[in-house]
Amino acid sequence: MMHAKHLKYAALLIVTGLCASTAQAVKPATNRDTLMEGRRIYEQACAWCHGIGGEGDGPAGWFIGRYTSPRPRNFVNDGYKLRSTASGELPTDQNLFRVITQGIPGVMPAYRSLNERERWQVIAYLKSWNSAFEEETPAPLTFPSAPPGPTEAGIQHGRHLYVKLDCRVCHGDNGEGDGPEATAGHLRDADNLRIRATNLTDPSAWKNGASSHDLLRTLMTGLDGTPMPSYANEFDGQEEALWDLVWYIQSLSGQQGR
Amino acid sequence: MSRPSAAAAIAPLVMTVFALVSGTYAVSVPSAEAIPAFARKYTMNCAVCHTAPPRLNTFGERFLENGYQLPGTEDGGITAKKHLGDLSLDDFANHTGGRLRGNMLRSHNFKRQSPPAAEAGTVHNNSELGFPEIFSLFTAGSLTKNIGFFTELESNMEESSTGIERAFVTFNNLGGTNVANIRIGRMDPSATFSFSTLRQQLELVGESMNTSTDTVQRAGLFPLAASAKFYGLRNRSGTAISPYAPSLYNAVAETGIEVRGRPFGDWFMYQVGMLNGANETFGDSNKGKDFYGAVRFDYARSANFSASLSAFAYLGNSNATVLTGAGQADVNWHRYGMAAHVRYKMFDLYGMYTLDRIAHVPTAALANFDTSASGLSVACDRPYAPLTAIRQHGYRRGSQPAHVPKLRRGSDQTIRAVQCGPVCSKRLQPPTSRRRQCSGP
Repeated sequence: MMHAKHLKYAALLIVTGLCASTAQAVKPATNRDTLMEGRRIYEQACAWCHGIGGEGDGPAGWFIGRYTSPRPRNFVNDGYKLRSTASGELPTDQNLFRVITQGIPGVMPAYRSLNERERWQVIAYLKSWNSAFEEETPAPLTFPSAPPGPTEAGIQHGRHLYVKLDCRVCHGDNGEGDGPEATAGHLRDADNLRIRATNLTDPSAWKNGASSHDLLRTLMTGLDGTPMPSYANEFDGQEEALWDLVWYIQSLSGQQGR
Repeated sequence: MSRPSAAAAIAPLVMTVFALVSGTYAVSVPSAEAIPAFARKYTMNCAVCHTAPPRLNTFGERFLENGYQLPGTEDGGITAKKHLGDLSLDDFANHTGGRLRGNMLRSHNFKRQSPPAAEAGTVHNNSELGFPEIFSLFTAGSLTKNIGFFTELESNMEESSTGIERAFVTFNNLGGTNVANIRIGRMDPSATFSFSTLRQQLELVGESMNTSTDTVQRAGLFPLAASAKFYGLRNRSGTAISPYAPSLYNAVAETGIEVRGRPFGDWFMYQVGMLNGANETFGDSNKGKDFYGAVRFDYARSANFSASLSAFAYLGNSNATVLTGAGQADVNWHRYGMAAHVRYKMFDLYGMYTLDRIAHVPTAALANFDTSASGLSVACDRPYAPLTAIRQHGYRRGSQPAHVPKLRRGSDQTIRAVQCGPVCSKRLQPPTSRRRQCSGP
């Protein structure tokens, strides 16, 4: 029988290992070597969809959306959908790292198989196409911390906000992505490609993440280049109401509090 | 109700024009196909890898080459979309997929094929319900970093047969990224060729022969350049090889080992392999092995465009037999070929030319055989949401026994076919059922 002291050491070792495995590698300095390595990885893993020049025109990219959104990101000219920064701003490096690591449901695989250093090298390379990254230092919005948990009254208030803010126009009365604008085919992205409204009852398909914090971030930042606007101004100083809307949307799929 | 898009509106017209031009007929009905396991595993839609399943786009080709790992990575099945504690049925489902194929309704025009018998009233046209005909069960994926596997179990209800179609393991990125990838098992050698055999058809329609009379009952809907071409060839157990059967380098499944890689970058791929090569389902009764080598040049650096050019040489070694009057004699059956592929946005154009040669034909049999044959196949496809049109032309020129009736141009030596099907599913359009019959030697 293993001694209690050994068990402690084993537990400590496991915890240390877990911490080490989830810690991010130190981001390499952006220099010539980093960019060269980033280019090598990009051309092997990313260029098939995003194109050799980063313009979203890789030989396989056309098939992803065919004639509907989304197409692969154009790193040269386009804005970025998935950010923690204000609408219209560039994403932070952490935002890019998150997308590469977790992928985008339906359209982009998760590249966790690249080690963290490789992911940072790719980020440095794809940022090199857009000079705005040299001129600006994107800053994430400050997001309100979560209250203890959803309440029935809060969810009801969230429903009220859902209707008041016209979320139903795109996402439908019950959040199934079947609002009148969506079903009429009026929703278009910045490239004038037809785009579907997200089905809020199916969190596994939410491109910006399905946790309550992910949802709140999406509401605050919007998804640039799509009909989904930022609601940061509507909820300025009304943190509790914002969370009520989050709880309500999550209630559509029975995911409250996650 | 919303109006259909322009592309959707003209799709039926395009289909009709294609069908008329090709001169083929068929009742096209959809078959069912399970959600691909890889799409589930990586939570992506099928269009990330496929143009029109099973055709692969450039990303899908590199995923296949990398042993079912994301291109440029050695993910070994890590998808990042699974959390500790989530081990469940998903882990099985992510490696498994099923497919049902068949025609809801099959029509046979026997009267047109045999007017005298029709006049005599001994043959009749008929229609039959035929779904499903074939059930396929796939298990595939990466066992761990750089070790992949693929198995396809197929049950053909029409032929009352069940067996393993293909099964192999892969060891990838040996000696460095994409330097050497090994594949061992029962596999399709042309999987990474510019015009691969298996991944060209919306529906695999195999050739059919009467085992007792060697009569060709149905031409397979494969690229004719990939077919056996020769009448009168047999495997070592004496069974006739259909002139329409995909064979040698272009075989659907042969047992062996191969190495391929792209050691100098994406622009160049090499492939060398060794097969049992005796056209036998299992085992290897001949004294030697067959060897093949191939090279492929790729270009995928322009906007929405990719192209490739491939060439191969396949050297057989006692891999077929012919009848000599006094028994069977071994012959060496070789093939050389090249293929090209161009893709722009969603339009694909494929072409392949092959040249077959038979060496060491016994003198007693030489009078009955040409020793060379050639084949040319051209195909193009273009998805029209929600359909995909594939048009294929094939030309086969080869030997035939003297007593076989002269082949009619446009019926046997040339197959023209149009396939159409839903983008993420399949439709069947065989050239014809019971296309023509001719006696073997």
